[in-house]
Amino acid sequence: MRLQGKTVIVTGAARGVGRACALAFSREGADLALLDVCGDIPGVPYPLGTASQLDHTARLCREQGASVLAAAADIRDLAALRAVVEQVCDRFGKVDVLVNNAGIVAPSGKSAHEITEDEWQVMLDVNLSGAWRMTSVVGPLMVARRSGSVINVSSTAGLVGYRHFAGYAASKHGLIGLTKATALDYAPLKVRVNALCPGSIRDDSQVEGRMLAEIARSLDLPVTEHEETFVQSQPMNSLIEPEDVAQAAVWLASDESRQVTGSVLTVDGGFTAR
Amino acid sequence: MVSISEQDAFAALTPARRTVVHSGERIPDSDRKAPGAVCHALSVRLADGLPADGPQVLARRFADRAAALLPAAGTAAAFRGAARLWTERVPCRSDESAAQRWRARELVRPVVAHRDAPVRGVLLHYADGVAELVVVAHRAALGAAALRGFVAELLGGAPPRADREACAARTAGGGRRYDAARHAADIAECHPGAQLDWGLGRPHDPDVPETALLPLPAGHPEGDTESWAAALGVVLARYEGVGRPVLAALVTDTDDGASVVPVEGVALVPVAVDGANTLGTLDKQVRAAVAAGPAWYTEELRREVEAAGGDPAGIAGAGLVFADLDPAADLPGAASAEYLPFQLPPFPVTVSVVRDAAGNRMLRCDFSPRKLSAGIADQFLRHVCRVHGVLLEVPDTPVSDVRLLDEDELDHLDALGRPGPAESFVPQRIDAAIAAIAASRPDAVAVRFEDHQVSYGELDGRADRLAHALRGLGVADGDRVGVCLERSAELIVTLLAVLKAGATYVPMDPAYPRDRLSYTTVDAGLATVVTDHAEFPGGDRVRVIGTAELAELAPARCDGPPSSTTGPDDPAYVIYTSGSTGRPKGVVVPHVNVLALMAATTGEFGLGEDDTWTLFHSSAFDFSVWEIWGCLLTGGRLVVVPYWVSRSPEDFHRLLSRERVSVLSQTPSAFAQLVEVERDGADPAPVRLVVFGGEGLDPRMLLPWFDRHPETGCRVVNMYGITETTVHVTAQTVTRAEALAGSKSVGRALPGWWVRVADPEGRPLPVGVAGEIYVGGAGVASYYLNKPELTGRRFLTDPRTGERMYRSGDKGRLLPDGRLEHLGRLDSQVKLRGFRIELDEIRSVLLDDPQVTAAAVLLNRADPDDPATAQLDAFVVMDGDDTAAVRQRAARFLPEYMVPSTITALDKMPLTTNGKLDTRKLPKPAPAAVARESAVPGRRAEGAGAGGADGGAAAPGDAFEAALLEVWQEVLGVPVGPDDNFFDLGGNSLLAMRVGAALRRRGDFTVAMRDLYLRPTVRQLAAGRVG
Repeated sequence: MRLQGKTVIVTGAARGVGRACALAFSREGADLALLDVCGDIPGVPYPLGTASQLDHTARLCREQGASVLAAAADIRDLAALRAVVEQVCDRFGKVDVLVNNAGIVAPSGKSAHEITEDEWQVMLDVNLSGAWRMTSVVGPLMVARRSGSVINVSSTAGLVGYRHFAGYAASKHGLIGLTKATALDYAPLKVRVNALCPGSIRDDSQVEGRMLAEIARSLDLPVTEHEETFVQSQPMNSLIEPEDVAQAAVWLASDESRQVTGSVLTVDGGFTAR
Repeated sequence: MVSISEQDAFAALTPARRTVVHSGERIPDSDRKAPGAVCHALSVRLADGLPADGPQVLARRFADRAAALLPAAGTAAAFRGAARLWTERVPCRSDESAAQRWRARELVRPVVAHRDAPVRGVLLHYADGVAELVVVAHRAALGAAALRGFVAELLGGAPPRADREACAARTAGGGRRYDAARHAADIAECHPGAQLDWGLGRPHDPDVPETALLPLPAGHPEGDTESWAAALGVVLARYEGVGRPVLAALVTDTDDGASVVPVEGVALVPVAVDGANTLGTLDKQVRAAVAAGPAWYTEELRREVEAAGGDPAGIAGAGLVFADLDPAADLPGAASAEYLPFQLPPFPVTVSVVRDAAGNRMLRCDFSPRKLSAGIADQFLRHVCRVHGVLLEVPDTPVSDVRLLDEDELDHLDALGRPGPAESFVPQRIDAAIAAIAASRPDAVAVRFEDHQVSYGELDGRADRLAHALRGLGVADGDRVGVCLERSAELIVTLLAVLKAGATYVPMDPAYPRDRLSYTTVDAGLATVVTDHAEFPGGDRVRVIGTAELAELAPARCDGPPSSTTGPDDPAYVIYTSGSTGRPKGVVVPHVNVLALMAATTGEFGLGEDDTWTLFHSSAFDFSVWEIWGCLLTGGRLVVVPYWVSRSPEDFHRLLSRERVSVLSQTPSAFAQLVEVERDGADPAPVRLVVFGGEGLDPRMLLPWFDRHPETGCRVVNMYGITETTVHVTAQTVTRAEALAGSKSVGRALPGWWVRVADPEGRPLPVGVAGEIYVGGAGVASYYLNKPELTGRRFLTDPRTGERMYRSGDKGRLLPDGRLEHLGRLDSQVKLRGFRIELDEIRSVLLDDPQVTAAAVLLNRADPDDPATAQLDAFVVMDGDDTAAVRQRAARFLPEYMVPSTITALDKMPLTTNGKLDTRKLPKPAPAAVARESAVPGRRAEGAGAGGADGGAAAPGDAFEAALLEVWQEVLGVPVGPDDNFFDLGGNSLLAMRVGAALRRRGDFTVAMRDLYLRPTVRQLAAGRVG
């Protein structure tokens, strides 16, 4: 097992890519601290992860032999994050891997000048500031042990623009900047920081993903039509599976990638290659 | 917590600062591994399953007791977190292997100082109702006894004696504040990257700790931490070959029944393994050191250790964690228990005493596979256990008398060093064996030299006749006859003639200085010397005869060799080797040894009549014994390499191809030049076997050779040997694998030879441990001529087998598969371009100079990666400052390759505190002597213009001279005048090649190697070119 004995924190673990990552990590022998907001955020026009979904992720991981600590925490609440990480330390004694996965895709679907102040704020607060908050709490623990891997789940929208997704693209571009700068901060201290950039991910029913559906809704398109258009634009002619992203995360978490830091790894079927 | 200053953001702008950050100096790496190394754990399976009052009571007690461990408010807190008892419902039955893994995972989760509570606890609740409590503690908060007390109280037993008071006592103890970070840093400091060469670790393996276990034999005496520390110290001393190893002991608190004695920390224990001490005394010393309390690792301590004669670099290469705790005792309601003394081994080699589930004691070694191999770890534990037993049972045993190895191990070592029985052969004289070949194949070519060749029949016949001529001169059976001839066919015929006359040949190199030739003549008691050397220093009592004159004295016909009583066990030759006593010593080798050598190698190397060998080396160097007799005893064709060709790699390479040489014997230095020639584009030489000897081989230099000569087409064999054991002892076939690994292996002993590695007292050392190489078996020479005292010291009788053996003075280690690693000389002998040089011999010659009162000689390399820059540098304390005169005098006795390139006068020799030469404090050597100062007789070129005598760098005569001067200066790195002798300026054959290459690159001129030797000054070379 490639992550035997490692403790991994995954944010946004209730469903989607977060759940896929948690499952992949537990299969590789890791123990898990799973965080999710477990509730809706004002201004986000679609239902977010629930406590029931988080419990389900935890159960699936336990069935694979992992010790799991699951906690509800809003990525925008620094004090709450601190309290959860204290618990993680008491339970597991250390943190080896942090996956900053929590993120939202909407409010979107309008031109940059049409975005309201509140819509702009919530997008950056969750997608960009949330990753920074977790890093500021967990980073020192890793630095003290001269060991650790931080994985920031960005997006192809961190590399290219998408029409009518200015806030989302700004937050995901920002995440790549955060990744590169933090990687330099931590490199002498043997803590690695990398970004993952998935392309459009299929809404897998097992992990209860709904990103594609929300994008379609933001663009006022039927899901099937949006999916069809998107698949045609993918060089590999298929959407990304959550498991594809999880496997890349396993590699970045493991010692196999011990010289990889500050890198941006795309899992996008070649979308950004052209 | 380490904070990163904002300056770091700009670190990348200044390379120097970045280096500092990356080397870890500014931000110490101290606690990287520490959490696991300073935490220990106890797991208890509850006899009655989950407590009837529910886990809540247990959890409340846990939280209360954990809170009690925290220091009072206001004190500097190492720990500040509150701890809770976690409950984990494990989805499997307690007897499944998954449950084992679950528990093991809980046992190794650390506690983080500075942040967490000092303990963490989890109650595992298995699917079958079984419950198991796992408690992990930081040693700074709870020692071993206190941890057990803590758990006992959780389970409803007596309140633990160690709580806040014990913590407070520890904080105040010994006037030093106990602080967890310091503790962690201490342990981190114990990872100095100790080499542990004896461990035979694989440096490229993953650094994942492994474990070796040795159950203590029934009846092994009970012992405490200190007794194990003493035993470990004795074993380390033997393994490291030092008198005062320092080991680290992670001393833990103890429960003496009344109170917990809070001693906890890393004690560095210098163990004075003085041979005169008894084990009992040693044990008392260790006890006193430990009782003095944890010795914090500081610079101060490092100095103390150094002052006490210990080796600070070796600090805590190995350490002891004492954990002989019966974990289940005194724990109410415990069905079974397991104690884990550390989560990560705190030392590179960590020894501990543990108990298995049944309570049986075991010696445990945790080690990194990069430092130790599993086999060595097992062996190490066996020896610690054995010494510990003796220590407790026979404490009066002197430390030096303790035996590490038992009879089985000694037998195993003997078998390892003696891989095969001798090949059978008919013992006879060398010349008789060659006569037999001559009789069966009289027309086969035996010797080729330049344009002519000698058949076996002719060789045998001519040698017979010359043997009669020698008899005519009065040579009798057993006499020693000097042979001082250049490499030629005549040399071979003469050597064989000496043997046929029943006599012993004593080879001398005509290039040796007069004094050395006359020393050899006198020491060997030579009455007859065959030489064409016009000025051979014979004297009145020596009959010096030229080869032509000897041929004239020979009968025109004869019927076989003169009759003789000399037998195969009588001496065949006496070869003089460099000696540390200041004078070369003659090694007497009988015929039968040479026949045994060929019996051992002929089959293995497939040597036979189809082979063509070279005679490359001087007959005064015993490598020539292998070349000459190895070829002729197997019916091969021997190509004698003219001296000038042997000095010119290009010419020698051409000779290899022209003569289709198949068996090539070389020193690595000479071979490097051949490889260079092929690199420059020459076609691969057609050799099928390369035999290395004469000096250590760094196999990495062979990579370009292998690129042109696949191992399937040409076998490369590295042979370790000594004149005193008849040329070769071991053989290692070198492949690309060895070359890539930079292997130091010289292979297994030849069949009939054996090797052993022993300590200074002559006791065999365990596998892996470095010591002196002893050689026994078929090759051991008879004695040193006229040196019975030295013979007695070096040629010994093996007390185990009664066989004769030679004590080599070479350092080596035996590998688990019986191969030998050669690690250089124990004394001051060095190899320079293939020559075996005893630095003490040079020093002794320098000291013979009445002006010199102290002398030191070093082998230096200006560029560590460039063998051509190696030179001998001498330092002298002398009356006046005429170092040139000192050099001139030394050159009268020493062969050219032993004359120091530089001699530097000092006011006094820098010494270390214990009176040894402190080589680090020697100044940079004075520039190489220039010709006007050196004036070495015979080497200062004749006909040198007067201009160079006092004018230093006289004006160059023409463009050719100017170009030469420029190139010499560039290659030699010193100012050059037109009359300076190339070789006096530090030039050597490798640098001569570079001069040739540099001139070729300039395109205008070339200088043949031969010309450079004949005309070693710029002016002479220029004149020679005109003429």
